[in-house]
Formats: sequence, structure tokens, C-alpha cells
Amino acid sequence: MKRLVAVAVFGALVVAACGSSGSDNRLIVYSGRSEELIQQLIDRFTDSTGVEVEVRYAGSTDLAATLLQEGDTTDADVFFAQDPASLGSVADLLADLPRSILDLVDPKFADRNGRWVGTSGRVRTFVYNTETTIELPQTIDDVTDPRWFGEVGVAPTNGSFLAFVSAMILERGEDATLQWLESLEMNRPQEFPRNSPIVAAADSGVVEGGLVNHYYLLRLRAEGEGTHSENWFIPAGDVGTLVMPAGVGILSVTDMPEAARQFIEFLLSEAAQTYFATETFEFPLIPGVPPARGLPALKDLNTPDIDLSELADVLEDAARLVSEAGLV
Amino acid sequence: MTVGPLTAPVETAPSRGRRSKSSRGWWTATAIVLLPALIPPISLAWQVLTKGTGATLPLDRLLVLFASTVGLTIAVTATALSIGTTTAWLTNRTDLPARKVWMILAALPLVIPSYMAALTIIGATGPDGLISTWVGLEIPTPYGFVGAWLALSVFLAPMAHLIVSPALRLIDPATEEAATGLGAGQRRVFFTVTLPQLRPALVSAGLMVGLYTVSDFGAVSLLRFDTFTRAIFTLYAGQIDRRPAAALSLVLMILALAILFIERRSRPRAGYAMPRPGRARRPVAMRGWPKGLALAFLSAFAFFSLAVPISVLLFWLIRGLSAGVKLGAFWDETLRSMGVSLAAAGLAALASLPVAMVTTWKRSRFSGAVESATWAIYALPHITVGIAVVAFALTWARPLYQSVLLLVLTYVAMFMAQSVSTVQDSLRRVSPVLEDASRGLGRGPLRTLAGVTVPLASPGLAAGAALVFLSVMKELPATLLLRPNGFETLAIRIWSTTGEGFYTMASVASLALIAVSIVPLLALTYRDLSD
Repeated sequence: MKRLVAVAVFGALVVAACGSSGSDNRLIVYSGRSEELIQQLIDRFTDSTGVEVEVRYAGSTDLAATLLQEGDTTDADVFFAQDPASLGSVADLLADLPRSILDLVDPKFADRNGRWVGTSGRVRTFVYNTETTIELPQTIDDVTDPRWFGEVGVAPTNGSFLAFVSAMILERGEDATLQWLESLEMNRPQEFPRNSPIVAAADSGVVEGGLVNHYYLLRLRAEGEGTHSENWFIPAGDVGTLVMPAGVGILSVTDMPEAARQFIEFLLSEAAQTYFATETFEFPLIPGVPPARGLPALKDLNTPDIDLSELADVLEDAARLVSEAGLV
Repeated sequence: MTVGPLTAPVETAPSRGRRSKSSRGWWTATAIVLLPALIPPISLAWQVLTKGTGATLPLDRLLVLFASTVGLTIAVTATALSIGTTTAWLTNRTDLPARKVWMILAALPLVIPSYMAALTIIGATGPDGLISTWVGLEIPTPYGFVGAWLALSVFLAPMAHLIVSPALRLIDPATEEAATGLGAGQRRVFFTVTLPQLRPALVSAGLMVGLYTVSDFGAVSLLRFDTFTRAIFTLYAGQIDRRPAAALSLVLMILALAILFIERRSRPRAGYAMPRPGRARRPVAMRGWPKGLALAFLSAFAFFSLAVPISVLLFWLIRGLSAGVKLGAFWDETLRSMGVSLAAAGLAALASLPVAMVTTWKRSRFSGAVESATWAIYALPHITVGIAVVAFALTWARPLYQSVLLLVLTYVAMFMAQSVSTVQDSLRRVSPVLEDASRGLGRGPLRTLAGVTVPLASPGLAAGAALVFLSVMKELPATLLLRPNGFETLAIRIWSTTGEGFYTMASVASLALIAVSIVPLLALTYRDLSD
């Protein structure tokens, strides 16, 4: 009994010893981007501005749902998300960004109403095994061709796939999207929970190809693998090559608007954009910063013209269609 | 020579007429410790009743999910109990060489979280897997039912091993020797004398394994077998609206309660109250082919449950290091994981004492409800518990929101069933008469508690604390939702590193998690070893 009390108290002490200090005067960032990818960048921000940052890392959709639940009582100052859909779904809680920030990037990578701004580009791609694949899909519809029967990896429950389906709804409407999803399902794709195992599967030949975001392959190469696969940017200009910017917005209830603005300006500075290019292998969104070696320039990709501000409105429909088509 | 009293089934509930004061004290304490445990289910039901269900799943899909969840649960429970009982018997009752080493090896896989187990299975099998690369033998990756069934069975078998082992040792040798003396063979003795006496332990282990299977997400998602919990996670991950996931969780909780109801009906009314065996027993001599078979079985188990996952982790580590990946240390994460796990383990064990008391020695008509409540929460997917507690804290307890205190209390609620069940096992082995005797001899209630009850319950308290510690170390979904900002644990870092493809860092974090978890596990088996 005494020992158990001692165990509990000792545990509490350990927690207290390593717990974070109070949250006054710290910029609180809800980050749907993971610690491995951006903590270094946040440390650099603190070094250069002196603003202490407290980060809550979780999935982008998780954090959007959390923000909606917290509403006006949230402690968060900034929401940094992986995709426009998460940002769009909390747009009502976000403050208008100043023109000076919005003007830094191409307007198609920012919210129409100026509530969030893109910080780096993530492009949907078809990753394929270079040893087994001969003929590559020319359009996103080719992926549902019987020749790919059982050979395509997808992550139907993953946020990036749902955002891609949302974009397709905006591009072709619900019926055509459902049709595409159904022909994909008829082709027996292999399902994975996330993008990175798809890339590993394509590299090892478990699948011939897969629908993923472009940077997972570069990540796998940094781990010493990924030599048997390549990214293929589907050239038709459809949602197969959708650019989904990660983006950031300021909560309107923030008590640190100045620091929050500084944070966004920092993310769009040349230093941070170079970091995104070289460390997270994403596409920089400000002019003059080139992407990582081996990647084409963003402007050379044939990308679809989609209003990303509307993604959030059809996200629920996307989840419903994916389930209706029998993919989950 | 003292001969242990012959074991006979006894009614462990006290007679109705003498509801003592101490009974009232225990019930009050139970009501207090159950409060945090009631938050998730009540908050969940409240959410669904007031906010509606949103767009959930069609009925036919629900029925398929129901069938696949029940099927997987039955298969995993049966397999894990068989493996765990076998390893427990082989390492406790026989004269196999290196018996005590096997005893630890059979318990160790419990430190490996199911998502890590699944991930390493995928890394080891398939055309480019480790086994194919090193041995040249291509084992297809076991996706679907087979994969989920094997992974969960192998990695949950140690739970059964840990619960059955002490029960095996506490069986009075006299009963088995009597059977042998009357001419029964080894096998007949095991099935007709030993196994019935193990029944309470097997029931506990079965519930612990079965309901864990119901709540598991890691293995079923990576190995692609669709269960209720996977569907709940999918609904939750795919949309901002949390109502459908909540509605489905409520259905799952009702399913768990149904399982408990069936279990309760089939449970023997009487327990076996028995003092510690009066003398040592002779181990069963293993010779010839049974010995070879036993060693092959233990080796195969250790190979799949330990050698494979750890090799895959080391392979990722070495591959990354040779590719020039910079390593991060996870000191803060390790300390935080340890801290919350220790705090939750200590509190859960303390809280389980009154609960175990009122469900064994001080039974009343509410006992069943109390027990079901703890198990029902244990069976809920952790993400559901997380969402329910977030909703509760935001509405009713804003100061506790995103606090370590609420996080630890939630862990206690989620995993208390484990310690309740081990403490119950301890208490069932001794007669409640001992407590009455102490009171009758003039000891006060507190002195009786400290001098009689707690020492009698202590093996169960220690085992329960260790099990809760291991569970909290591995917990991910509720931690993600409930932790304070920046309070990253090892499990969280494993999740985020594997998700982004940082396999080298993931392996470091995983190995740290395994290393830290081994300590309480060794403490748990130490008692067995010194026996």
C-alpha cells in the first residue's frame, strides 16, 4: 500500500519535473504538421524573434475538431495545418490576415476570404516501382484501368486522400466522383492506413504504384531506401496532380496578434521556405526559392484549377462517398 | 508435517444478515473511485442523446462489423489463452532447462504495442521483408483476419501467461497428487483437476484479452481487418463531425456490456478459497519428444514475438545510421511516459482495492454493475474515451482541460479493470473469514486493513499496477487528445515518426519504450522467479 502511494507520488513528481511551465507570454500553436518536420523551424523562429512557442502536435482534422469544440475558449493563437480543408472548416474562428501577408503567395494558395495562407506545397502524385511498371497513367482515370488490378496502393481513410476526393468533387461533381471511386474499388486497390507505407510498398514491389503525396518518397530516400521507385506527376492537369498547400491562420481570440503575425511572416520568409524545400521536401510558395533537387518547378506541373477555399465544404461528402464506394 | 487444508469450493460472499460497518466504508470508497470511471460513458451517452448521431453507417455494414469484431475477439481470446496457459504451465510446472529465462521471455512481448507489432510484421514479411532478404524465404504479409488474429494472439498471450502463472503456483499440490494417486494420468489431472481450479484466472485473462481486442486499433488498421473500432477511427479521422464516431462507440459499449452479461451468466458462483500450498510440489519431468516439442514451442513463440520485432527495429536503426540520419534522444518523452504511467499505475491499484473488495468479499446486488462498469470502459476504443473526456472537460471542468491530472485520471478509468481483476484474483484465494477474525480479535478497521487485507491483496495489487503501467506506456489516442500542449510521450513520438516515414527515429523511440517497460515486467516476474 505504502509502496503504491510512493509509486503514484513519484510518478507525479517526475511529471511535474518535466512538465512545461505556464502558458503566459507564449505563442500557442496548434500544429497538424508533425514535430519531426517543423520543430526545428519553430526553434529558429524563437531564436530570431525571442517569442517563446508552445506547440500542440496532432492530426490536422483532429485539431480542427478540437478547435471547433473549444470555440472561443481556446488557448490557441495560431493554427498550422497540413491541408486547406482543415483550415477551411475552422475559418469562422480565424481572423482576417493582413494584405501584406496574403500578397506574399500566389492567391490560388490562399483563402479567398483571407483567413489563411499557404506556407508550402504538397503535390498529389503517383508513386511507382521503376522495375515493374512500364506504362504510366496519363490521367487520374487511367489509375482505375483493369491493367492496375490489385496493384495500386491507396490510403482511403487518410486526410490527404480525402482532400484529393474533395477536390475531385469540386472538379467533376458528386456523381462522377462516386463513379471514379467505384471503378477504383472494382480494381481491388490495396488499402493502407497512411501514405508512408504505400511508398515503402511501391519501393519493395508489394504494389506497382500508389496515390500519395510527393514528399514521402524523398523522405524514404533520406532513410536509405527508395531507390526502386519514382514519383510520377500525372500530366493531364486533373486532380491527380493536385497541389494541397499546408497553411496557417490566426485565431481571432488570440491575445498575441503581433507575435502570431510575426510567426506567419517567418514561415513565408526565405529562410523558412528554403527549410521546407530542403528538409521537408515540399514546394516553396514564395518566388525565388527553388524546390529540392530532383523535383520539377511548381509552375512546370500541370495542376488543376480548384478553389481550395471550398474544400472544407465538401470534405464530409468526400468521406461519405469513399464509404459508399466501399473503399472503407 | 502440515498438510494444506483440502480445497473445497466455498461461497465467498458473506451471509446476508451481517452487513458490517466496514462493508459500508468499502462501498463509499468504491463510489468515490468510480467517479472518474463513469465520466467517459456518461459523457458519451449525453453527447449522443443531445446532439444526435450525424451520418453513421448503414445497418448492413454495422452487422458485418459486429460479426467480424465478435469473430476476431473469440479467435484471439481462445488462441491467446491457449498459448498463455501453455507457456505458464511449461515455465511453472516442469523441469525444462532455463525455465526461469523462458518465464521472462514468455511475458516480455507485452511491452510491444500492437501497432508496433503490426508494423514490424509488415517489415519482416513480404517480397522485400527482412525474412525474405536474410533467409531467402518469402512469407506473404498476413493481411486481413489472419494477420490481425495472429498478431493480437501472440502479443496478448503474455497477459494470459502473467495471470495464469501465479494461479498455477497457488493450486494446492495435494489435490493433484490425490488425483495422481487415484491413478489419473498427467493429462487427465491437468484437464479435470488443474484446469477447473484455474477457471477464475482464465476468466479474468479472457476478459482482459478479449475486451482489449475489441478496443484495439493499431493491429487491425495496419493489417487491414475491419472491426468496429477501426470503423470508429475511420469515421473520426475522416470528418470534423465527431457525432457519428460517438454514436458508433455507444453501440460498441453496449456490445461489450452484452459480452459481460454472457460471461457473468456462465461464471461459477463459488470461488476457491485456499491458503498458500503447505509444501512444495515436484516439477513434472520433461523427457524425450515432449521436452523437444515444449522447447520448440517456446522458441517459436519467442522468435515471432520478440526476435522478429526487435530485429526489424534494429534493422531500421542501422539502415538509417548508415544513411547518415541524425539521431535524436527522447529523454523528456521517456520521463513523461514513465511519470504518467507510474502515477496511473499506483492510483489504479489503490482505486481497485475497494472495487475488488465490494465485488468479492463484500458482495451486494450492485457488485455486478460495479464490475461491468470498469470492464465496459476498458473495452471502449481509446479515441472514444478521449473524445468523451474532452467534451466533459470543456463543458463541466474547463480548468482540468488539457491537464496532466485529467490525463492520469482518464488512464486510471481506462485501465482500472486490469488491476481490479488481479486484486479480485488475490482476494478470492483467501477466505473473507480472516478479516472478520481480525475484527473479532479486537483490531480496528484501519489496522485490519493494513495488517490483514492489504497484505492478502498485495500480489494482486502489484500485478495490477504493473499491467496498468504497461498499458499506459503504450496508450496513444486518448493521450493525443488529452495531454497538455507540448506533453509528448514515447507513444506519441512513435506515432508521429512512423507516420512521416522517419523510421530511424521511430526505432529509437520504440526501443526506448521497450527498455522502460521491461523494468515493471521484471518486477512482476521477479515474484514468480523467487518462488
